[in-house]
Amino acid sequence: MTAITFLLRRLSLSVFVFIGVLILTFFVSRVIPGNPAALYAGARPRPEQVEAIKVKLGLDKPLHEQFLVYVSDLLDGDLGESYHSRRSINTDLSIFLPATLELVIAAVFIALLVGIPIGVLAGAYPKSAFDYATRLVAIAGVSVPSFWLALIAQFIFFSSLGWLPLGGRISRDASLFYPIAAQTGFYLVDAAVSSNWDAFFDALHHLILPALVLSAYPLGVAIRMTQASMIEALAENYITSARAAGLSQRVILFKLALKNAIMPALTVVGLSFAYSITGAFLVETIFSWPGVGKYVTEAVLNVDFPVIIAVTLVVTVVYILVNLAVDLLQALLDPRVRLG
Amino acid sequence: MTPILTIENLQVEFSTPFGAVHAIRGIDFSLARGDILGLVGETGCGKSVTGRSIMRLLDENAKVSAGRILFDGMDLLQLTDTEMRRIRGNRIAMIFQDPATSLNPLFTIGEQIKDVLRAHRGSGRGGAKALAIELLADVGLPDPAQMMSVYPHQLSGGQQQRAMIALSLAAEPDVIIADEPTTALDVTIQAQILDLLRRLQRERSISVIFITHDLGIVAETCQQVVVLYAGRVAEKGAVETILARPQHPYTRGLLAALPRPGSRGNDLRVIRGNVPSGFERIVGCAFAPRCDYVMDICRAQNPAFSVIDSTHHSACHLHEMPANG
Ligand SMILES: Nc1ncnc2c1ncn2[C@@H]1O[C@H](COP(=O)(O)OP(=O)(O)OP(=O)(O)O)[C@@H](O)[C@H]1O
Ligand SMILES: [Mg+2]
Repeated sequence: MTAITFLLRRLSLSVFVFIGVLILTFFVSRVIPGNPAALYAGARPRPEQVEAIKVKLGLDKPLHEQFLVYVSDLLDGDLGESYHSRRSINTDLSIFLPATLELVIAAVFIALLVGIPIGVLAGAYPKSAFDYATRLVAIAGVSVPSFWLALIAQFIFFSSLGWLPLGGRISRDASLFYPIAAQTGFYLVDAAVSSNWDAFFDALHHLILPALVLSAYPLGVAIRMTQASMIEALAENYITSARAAGLSQRVILFKLALKNAIMPALTVVGLSFAYSITGAFLVETIFSWPGVGKYVTEAVLNVDFPVIIAVTLVVTVVYILVNLAVDLLQALLDPRVRLG
Repeated sequence: MTPILTIENLQVEFSTPFGAVHAIRGIDFSLARGDILGLVGETGCGKSVTGRSIMRLLDENAKVSAGRILFDGMDLLQLTDTEMRRIRGNRIAMIFQDPATSLNPLFTIGEQIKDVLRAHRGSGRGGAKALAIELLADVGLPDPAQMMSVYPHQLSGGQQQRAMIALSLAAEPDVIIADEPTTALDVTIQAQILDLLRRLQRERSISVIFITHDLGIVAETCQQVVVLYAGRVAEKGAVETILARPQHPYTRGLLAALPRPGSRGNDLRVIRGNVPSGFERIVGCAFAPRCDYVMDICRAQNPAFSVIDSTHHSACHLHEMPANG
């Protein structure tokens, strides 16, 4: 089976997952006590105002009709409007989602690019000083709370050294003098395609600290996973025969063993990627990063259901795509895995 | 002619949580150029440890406590890791028992051969692919050009071992250590692989240490044989003389335990008793507790080699008795 048919089959299966999540979140949100219409109407509404809004939002109709309306809007690509701010969720997400994705992708890249080589060496030289130092780093990365790391990082790199900005995605000067022409919403991408290098480096500067802080957890996980599976791989007979063939340590570790050992780290870091879409809200708040985490946290505090449902659906899609990518990667790496 | 490889008084022990395991208790033998030398003995007698000592690929808890391994004028045990890496694969290669797990499952056969070529023949050689295809043809794999892009799991056991042999030949080594290369294969495939090894050995004049516990294979394949018992050499010499006139009681026992054509299962004579464990300190002859001819001296003193004839040595006190001549 080719990769294309595999993709199509997996995607069509994923549609069912998506529908399941949709039904669940929609009905749970309607069953939970609360008065969305009152929320929508603002402070101290009169009862007849609330009734009018109920009719306007269709909340007076039976549940299944409300659901059908929601689904048909969704099929048109319309995620609805926030009960709290009355803004279009599509517009909001087109700003917040790229901001979060840019941050999370950067964090995951740091975690993999740094964590995997460290894990390889730690697995190759167990019980060495390097191994113990690595364990410390990995455990710290996984267990130190991100808000604390964020504050420390700000203290060191902003307050003390003054190397990096405190927060935000771009400085006011850069946004005034070198405005980025929005296309994808990814500042780095948009700035790069328009060769707006001043804005590019300004945005990169702003990205470094929050991305580093957010990468701590997946970095720790990548190190530990890689190390554990390297130890396993290095005990295999094919490694003995590679040594007997006189291959260099570099080839044995980073080619022959790593290819066998990389998948667990990729899988777990992939899942932490999907989790970080909403899980990064503390880091986003501390770094004033206008992301989905902050957005959905406010929505939860305001019981703003359309936003909660919309973000849940977006995260579901990200999970599905990440899982698909991981499976595809596994099949690419391992010829014994049959696509199907 | 000087032997290509000489092992002198090699002693290897493993440290374990239960104490030291004396795997090799001092062995001496040499491999003549162009010969196939059979290394035989019961399980646990130290055959694989000997092979891995030569390659310097022992487990981490191993220690070579004495001895020299002379190859081409060098003592392999004294080489640096980098020097040793240039010997492995390039001058001395190894073939293992289980081809299914000895090949890397995630790389094509071609890629694995090219890795060996790159390691020893330098990179950027355009001929690597042609050379690899030639090797695959030489080990008798069908459709060698296509074999390049095949993964190990797509091959049969016999084909996998042929691929392993191609890998070990890639850098044109002088010596190959084959550790039970046919044990994991069907009997008919075994014969084919043995034929292949014999042919390649002859054509390329490679010297081989052939580890096996099958005296039948030794008889068909080897010129020399070294019989190990409990980490020591019991008897060594030319295959014809040892199989025809075994001198050491242990070798005689092994030969008597061989099934012969026409014999029933219950005709087999098994050597009574057990192999001593690696934890034991052995005083005297290691075989004494199981020997039918045991004498007082056997329990007190480790026998030195007696020269039976110029190519045949046996370590047994019986040979020192005037009556036995
Ligand atoms: N890593 C190790 N730790 C402890 N003891 C070991 C280790 N490797 C080998 N030994 C011991 O060394 C001795 C010799 O083992 P070796 O593998 O050489 O036997 P062998 O002659 O190859 O047997 P077989 O025919 O079963 O392959 C055995 O007693 C074994 O238990
Ligand atoms: Mg063995």
